[in-house]
Amino acid sequence: MSSSLLHYREWQGQYHRPIWAVLPICRGALAMLLRRRLFWALYAFGLLLFLMFFFGTVLLDWLESQVPAAPVQVGNFKTDPDRIVKLVRQGLRVLNGSQDTFAVFFTYQGTMVMVMLALTGAVLVGNDFTHRSLAFYLAKPMSRWHYIAGKCLAVGVVVNLLTTVPAVLLFFQHASGDINYLTDPDFFRDGSGRGPAGLPLLAGILGFGLVLTVFLSILLVAAASWLRRTMPLIMLWSTLFLFFRLLAAILVDGLRYDPRWRLIDLWNDLCLVGFTFLGFEEGAMPLPLPQPQMFEAAIVLGGLCLSCLTYLSLRTRAVEVVR
Amino acid sequence: MPDLLESADPGRRSSTLASSVVNGPLSVKEEVSTDGGQATTDEAVLYFENVSKWYGPVIGVNQVTLELRPGITGLVGANGAGKSTLLRLAAGQLRPDLGSVQVCGREAASAAAKHRLGYCPELDIFYEEMSGRRFVETMARLQGFSASAARCRTEQTLELVGMADRANRRIAGYSKGMRQRIKLAQALIHDPPLLILDEPLSGIDPIGRRESIELFLKLAEAGKCLLVSSHELEELEKLTDHVAIMAYGRIAAVGPLVRIRDLLDNHPLSILVASDQNRKLAMALLDLEEVVGVEIEGDDRLKVLARQPRRFFQKLADLVLEEHVELRHLETLDDSTHAILGYLLGAGK
Repeated sequence: MSSSLLHYREWQGQYHRPIWAVLPICRGALAMLLRRRLFWALYAFGLLLFLMFFFGTVLLDWLESQVPAAPVQVGNFKTDPDRIVKLVRQGLRVLNGSQDTFAVFFTYQGTMVMVMLALTGAVLVGNDFTHRSLAFYLAKPMSRWHYIAGKCLAVGVVVNLLTTVPAVLLFFQHASGDINYLTDPDFFRDGSGRGPAGLPLLAGILGFGLVLTVFLSILLVAAASWLRRTMPLIMLWSTLFLFFRLLAAILVDGLRYDPRWRLIDLWNDLCLVGFTFLGFEEGAMPLPLPQPQMFEAAIVLGGLCLSCLTYLSLRTRAVEVVR
Repeated sequence: MPDLLESADPGRRSSTLASSVVNGPLSVKEEVSTDGGQATTDEAVLYFENVSKWYGPVIGVNQVTLELRPGITGLVGANGAGKSTLLRLAAGQLRPDLGSVQVCGREAASAAAKHRLGYCPELDIFYEEMSGRRFVETMARLQGFSASAARCRTEQTLELVGMADRANRRIAGYSKGMRQRIKLAQALIHDPPLLILDEPLSGIDPIGRRESIELFLKLAEAGKCLLVSSHELEELEKLTDHVAIMAYGRIAAVGPLVRIRDLLDNHPLSILVASDQNRKLAMALLDLEEVVGVEIEGDDRLKVLARQPRRFFQKLADLVLEEHVELRHLETLDDSTHAILGYLLGAGK
């Protein structure tokens, strides 16, 4: 070791405040995740749906531009091209950029998010607890809440990369096709009578993304700090988002139990709250009926978040316990 | 475990370290000056004041009062003695249930204190996917440095610990010694006055150990306070003669090893002596009040059991001159850290 270099320059500047520690924690977690091929494979797979929506819309616009203004006659059959386009648009309503588009997009992307989080939770969070690396963090001038916030931010980035960011890109793709889509909130209500457009829809997309980010990041950080390893995490994730979903469906749809039993389906709860952001009215959401009230779902999600934060507070304090 | 345990005198915050050893029926408390080239200042770098810490019904640290100043202090004790708890309390990762821990006058868990301490934990597996450089830089950012300052200090610190040329490799490919150096680098990144090192010599090859010890000594010379926990007692002796011995959550003794050994009256010091006139020397030695017994070892050696070693050696020198005895061999057998630890923990030698 170069002992002669011992007197390296003394730090004269100001240290950043502890809150800034959140960023390097997040960056460190993501850096470890981005090194893995599995992440990129899952992410590429997750983007397929986005590409389907993106190019589906482009294809539809191209088709419209190719249809002649005059009626088309094939043999004795004569038809109006506008009517064909309307029928196609009605059939592919999911590509028209309305609240339905984003509801479907978030629902399908959600599946990919769940798979991604189950597989990456151990890398993002669990390894810190497995290797007891928290000692490094907590010896620095920051609290355990900064650590938790940093990890939640890292999970949030992953969630948003798969959901909110592509959804916002889709939104602007539609806006680039018709400026009224961006400026007129009643863009769809005038025509099909469904949902807002423009900035309210953009706010709804961001709101849905925020709900997903906050809830899933807190839940994943808590679950990964508890279970640490990938396989147990997959089992827990499957139980929460698959088994409980099936159970809720059996209880409410099959056995006609109270709709509140659907509250055990966390993805359904997320959709209930998120769809409200997208401008859906209760009862008109693309979800199986009957449904519990939106506020009930919000209470369940909020309660779970609080429980997870309480657990994380204890868990990060438990680093103190001599094993 | 005999009743050897007593925390250091809680009331003392003078420029000397308080050392106390309660040994069977004897209870001796004595002020022991820091020495061994250790610098002293008026302010304690690390101060434990009547600190207790429980883990549910189990007590981890029991009424510990300890004051450390610049220099190296070895922390030794059996497994479960409370060393890790003490280190974590010092690093601000644990809050005491009773008492207070202060780093440079600041509460140890505060951000201000953490800017003044560097902690090198014992764990060996961490961020296997990261490169050593990236890890140290991340730790520098966590310390509160700006991006450019973090990069600059990372390079300086990696150079300091001798890892600059290997820091781009993934930590997964590091040897244990390289991991120790990287851990040390992240602890040194902000040039803190207090360094808490948990088993820093573990797993390092002999050359690496020598370099590490050199670095630690230089850091101590530069006025830093190092608290080093280690099971490698022989290596620790090369590093410092100032130790804190823990047992059952208490500080059993703290101070220079020689003085702690002096206080162990229940265990006379064993000294191997060889001279040209062993019988004459044995008879003369038995007249000394400090000598408990003399055994003849083989043909040409005596094993002397003596209390109050310092006074004994003075008298031995006088005696040798008076009796015209030629000493051929003089060796203390049980004044090592290992032996003292054994006596204090009641395990014999």
